[in-house]
Amino acid sequence: MPYFDHSATTPIHPDVLKKMNEVSSTHYGNPSSTHSSGRKSKSIIEDARRQIASAIGANASEIIFTGSGTEGNNLVMWSLTQSDKKHVITSAVEHPAVLKVLQKLAPYGITYSVLPVNGHGRVNNENLQNAIQPNTGLISIMMVNNEVGSIQPIKTLLETAHSAGIPFHSDTVQALGKIPLSVKEIEADYLSFSAHKFYGPKGVGFLYKRKSAQLNSLIIGGGQESNLRAGTENVPGIAGLGEAVRLASKNLSKRMHHLEELEAVLLKNLKIVCPHVKINGCPKHHIPGVISVSFPGEKSDILLAKLDRKGIEVSSGSACGAGSVKPSEVLKAMGIPDNQNISTLRISLGRGNTEEEVLGLAQVLDSITHG
Amino acid sequence: MGKPIIVGISGGVDSSVTALLLQQQGYDVECVFMKNWEGNDDENCTAEEDYKDALAVCDHLNLPLRSVNFAKEYWDGVFQYFIDEYAKGRTPNPDVLCNREVKFKAFLDYSIELGADKIATGHYARIDESNGQFKLLKGLDPGKDQSYFLYLLGQKALSKSMFPIGEIEKINVRKLAQDSGLINHAKKDSTGVCFIGEQKFFKDFLKKYIPTKPGKMKTINGQVCGEHDGLMYYTMGQRKGLGIGGGYGEKEAPWFVAEKDLDQNTLIVAQGHDHPALFHQHLSADQIHWTGATPPDDFEGLYAKIRYRQSDQKCEITELTSDSFSVKFDQPQFAITPGQSIVFYLGDECLGGGIIKGRN
Repeated sequence: MPYFDHSATTPIHPDVLKKMNEVSSTHYGNPSSTHSSGRKSKSIIEDARRQIASAIGANASEIIFTGSGTEGNNLVMWSLTQSDKKHVITSAVEHPAVLKVLQKLAPYGITYSVLPVNGHGRVNNENLQNAIQPNTGLISIMMVNNEVGSIQPIKTLLETAHSAGIPFHSDTVQALGKIPLSVKEIEADYLSFSAHKFYGPKGVGFLYKRKSAQLNSLIIGGGQESNLRAGTENVPGIAGLGEAVRLASKNLSKRMHHLEELEAVLLKNLKIVCPHVKINGCPKHHIPGVISVSFPGEKSDILLAKLDRKGIEVSSGSACGAGSVKPSEVLKAMGIPDNQNISTLRISLGRGNTEEEVLGLAQVLDSITHG
Repeated sequence: MGKPIIVGISGGVDSSVTALLLQQQGYDVECVFMKNWEGNDDENCTAEEDYKDALAVCDHLNLPLRSVNFAKEYWDGVFQYFIDEYAKGRTPNPDVLCNREVKFKAFLDYSIELGADKIATGHYARIDESNGQFKLLKGLDPGKDQSYFLYLLGQKALSKSMFPIGEIEKINVRKLAQDSGLINHAKKDSTGVCFIGEQKFFKDFLKKYIPTKPGKMKTINGQVCGEHDGLMYYTMGQRKGLGIGGGYGEKEAPWFVAEKDLDQNTLIVAQGHDHPALFHQHLSADQIHWTGATPPDDFEGLYAKIRYRQSDQKCEITELTSDSFSVKFDQPQFAITPGQSIVFYLGDECLGGGIIKGRN
């Protein structure tokens, strides 16, 4: 069954699975126990931490294991309620794991400004400069957008943030394993990651927190993760995460090249079979393999259902996508008119996809659209 | 691959067995879960739990399940009317409108767009076709017949719909569900208005949408006997919640809502279930609709229901225009309620009906 929804989640890599199986079946000790099996589990966690740190150019002590990318975002946002400066600047194309959290934090004194994006889904640095207030305590801009794949000018935005002395967070859930990512180059204060976006297991992620950055815990208990995230560690999940990060950085350029090629084939054929399609996003600053494509006159939920019947899995640009299809907030922010917005599919390719599959997808799209 | 039948599945046992039966009959079945209401997090809405049940059933039967959001269609086509009617002191029936506007319009159109041959729902009713004409018939289980809620359907909807459980009895529907291992075989039937939930939430719900105007409560003889919280909270024949016990007045009998005087903002009550003020033999109605392609040419042997699950009442149409009619019943009727529907039957066939306007 051709799967083209890798931005939603990815199938687990066989090496990751192998690692997790090995850890699950053999190493059951509680990492907090001081006896042999406890020490072994602790070592597995710390190995993964070092693996991850080395892959992104960080120190091991700057890696905090979480349950998801969402949790990482929440940790950073909630921490701000303890700070003197409670104003946040974010963008209009963030995931609900940032925007909804900020909404919910209003009773705790958090206010926020939302930067607009241009037609390519990108934030403008000047807008950021203008949005800074004396009480701005955090700037949070995602690195790669999940719906259209646009890459934000993070380095420039970071310079602005740091020259104003403001901590910078980036939701990097869609970036790792897709573009090079090093905290030596991107000197952010916080980055949130999720394992299942790069062929790792679901339910585990990590937060990068620069040594100098402030963070308060949300989950209190036994003092795990340097008192920042209590609860007995998900040892097999963390081991799998470590392996997934290692694999993601190991073959990155090869993987990127594969996706670029597939994307080119898909776009070329899409334009032949459906000449009226519109491609959304940024042609230049864009991760390979994520294609947001609108089919004027169609409705994304109907297309999704028809593809699903043929065993082809993609996703729609729209949020909960169905019926009176709700236009996607991201596409809306990019100034895409509603009729185009609700006709949008997100096709996200992955390491397992082949040229044959992609050609098949173009053919099926031809047969189910009106021309 | 043939054209599928798309089942509107709610997570309840009736629509689940609808899907099961069609699958057993060899149809290519797909299921769609409709979300017609978008409540706040704190509102009473069981949609998520219901969706989980629908998913479990579809997973068990290996049927595809999709979700569709008709909240806008429901709001515009049903809820606005519901609120407007209450604001006018009438008692609307949102379910008949939901069927016309959402299930047999928005959902039907959506399903056709998805390539469906027909839709199916878990209603206890039947459709009979002869010579290209589609008749809406009562469900075979007399205790469960739901044709009353479907009287606003027309030929287009009837020609594109299937009600497989209309052919069997509720007890057997549950039995089929149990025998097939459906997890919801014992799930309670839903009651009350779907977006409000239990009756006890009703007042709070209406209060959010309509300003309340408390006023006087009087007896039929004009004697003030209490206060009311707002006429919209009361319906004809209502007994509970009047705040006057049977002890008030001369007899030990309970009190009932007999009339709403909107001009005076007064609620008029009568004592005793058999009080003549609670009964009327004539009613007038409008928004007439026939299930057939043309109005019936013969009304010999006509019966009607003025509320769901009422037994058929013998009656005759005394006046008929293209949009309204008057009806005379053989027997005086208890609590004829403006805003509710009167639905006509000839034998098992549901002919159509209208919205009750007045009575005398």
